[in-house]
Amino acid sequence: MNSIIGIVNYGIAGNIHSVKKAIEKAGGNTLVVNSPSDFDLVDKVVIPGVGSFKNAMQELENNGLIASLNEFDKPILGICLGMQILSKLGFEFGKTRGLGLLDAEVKPIICDAKIPHMGFNKIQVVNPNKLMKGLQDKEFYFMHSYEVVNYTDIVALTKYGNHSFVSAIHKGNLYGVQFHPEKSRKAGIKLLSNFIEMKAN
Amino acid sequence: MNTRIIAKLDVKPPFVVKPVHFEGLRRMGSPSELARKYYNQGADEVFYIDIVSSLYQRKFLSDGIKETANVLFIPFAVGGGVKSIDDFSKLFHIGADKVVINTYAVQQDPSIINKAAEVFGNQAVVVNIEAKKWQRNWECYTDCGRIQSGKDVLEWVQEVEQRGAGEILLQSVDTDGRRRGFDIELAAQVVDSVGIPVVVSSGAGSLKDIKEIIEIASPSGVAVASLLHYDRVTIQDIKEYLRNNEIKVSQ
Repeated sequence: MNSIIGIVNYGIAGNIHSVKKAIEKAGGNTLVVNSPSDFDLVDKVVIPGVGSFKNAMQELENNGLIASLNEFDKPILGICLGMQILSKLGFEFGKTRGLGLLDAEVKPIICDAKIPHMGFNKIQVVNPNKLMKGLQDKEFYFMHSYEVVNYTDIVALTKYGNHSFVSAIHKGNLYGVQFHPEKSRKAGIKLLSNFIEMKAN
Repeated sequence: MNTRIIAKLDVKPPFVVKPVHFEGLRRMGSPSELARKYYNQGADEVFYIDIVSSLYQRKFLSDGIKETANVLFIPFAVGGGVKSIDDFSKLFHIGADKVVINTYAVQQDPSIINKAAEVFGNQAVVVNIEAKKWQRNWECYTDCGRIQSGKDVLEWVQEVEQRGAGEILLQSVDTDGRRRGFDIELAAQVVDSVGIPVVVSSGAGSLKDIKEIIEIASPSGVAVASLLHYDRVTIQDIKEYLRNNEIKVSQ
């Protein structure tokens, strides 16, 4: 049976629509996760990403979703801000505690080019995994001013200006991408289909 | 870094129209059909601007926006008549990835930029500039190039950056829709004045115009409308031409 991908809804900022549409295009079934009990109905979870770190954590807390995300032991894919909030700390609009699932911090990108980093850019896969299958050197759409600083779980790097940053991570059941697969044409759909096909434990 | 090639749809619902100097409208097709066409041609993004909602003082119309979002798997920026955080939220929920604001921020309350950046992140807040040459400077216009604001463009772009805007859409009331080239000096000065990406629009009349503006002003993106609507060139043509001239664009 085809697995069900939960999309975590965190209030006024989430771009649920685009992510849902892209997962369906990739051949997946989706369910919007609004409350803790919804986690029982899904096989995998995607945390989409539009918003600021601080606001996202507040919304997750208001909806009582933090404990459920911490306990969820099936594959989780964080997209952009959704990957960032897996970290311990964020520094967007003050210091905010993240989910703490990843030994990482989220800091402003500091480099010689224009910030936010916006547009299609290449990824260099340094630790191949199932999610990145067939995606070496592909271009994905980035739209961010902050980056995940992590040294232990790096899957891919991307170069912007004179600066390299972490564009994908993987640790146990956690997957994260700094770019937006739902906005990255065929390469993005391919990544989502890799996620759909992944075994759910 | 790749220069983004963006298709811009100026919409007077339910049609994409072609304004000249922001006036004299001509119907070009439906937003979703044109968006699909430019997506298939390899556009990096689509901008959708409801050009009459501020002027008519009415809300943006959701149906056309939703329908257009549905055909795209690239970023989609939407603007026109945005007045509140609630409007931002509504647009994100019907498929926008970025929201474009001008009139309300310029004429009423610029702090909406700060509030939106705090809730949605600065990457999601685009400020639209409608610049018109005035003596040796440029003045910000609103309501589709109709209403003066007294604000100086170079001062205003720095202010919106400080307030948290993540991108500038730079349009020129003087060159818009004429297909006779961009206001290059305006673009170069705005790009130099801010640390956020600037998307330059208004005036692409040939592939050479696009190459020139990139070489001289180094914008992060170029938004094209008429040139595409009249099928004079495709996005592929633009990208191929730029690649042949050693300008980086996405695949």
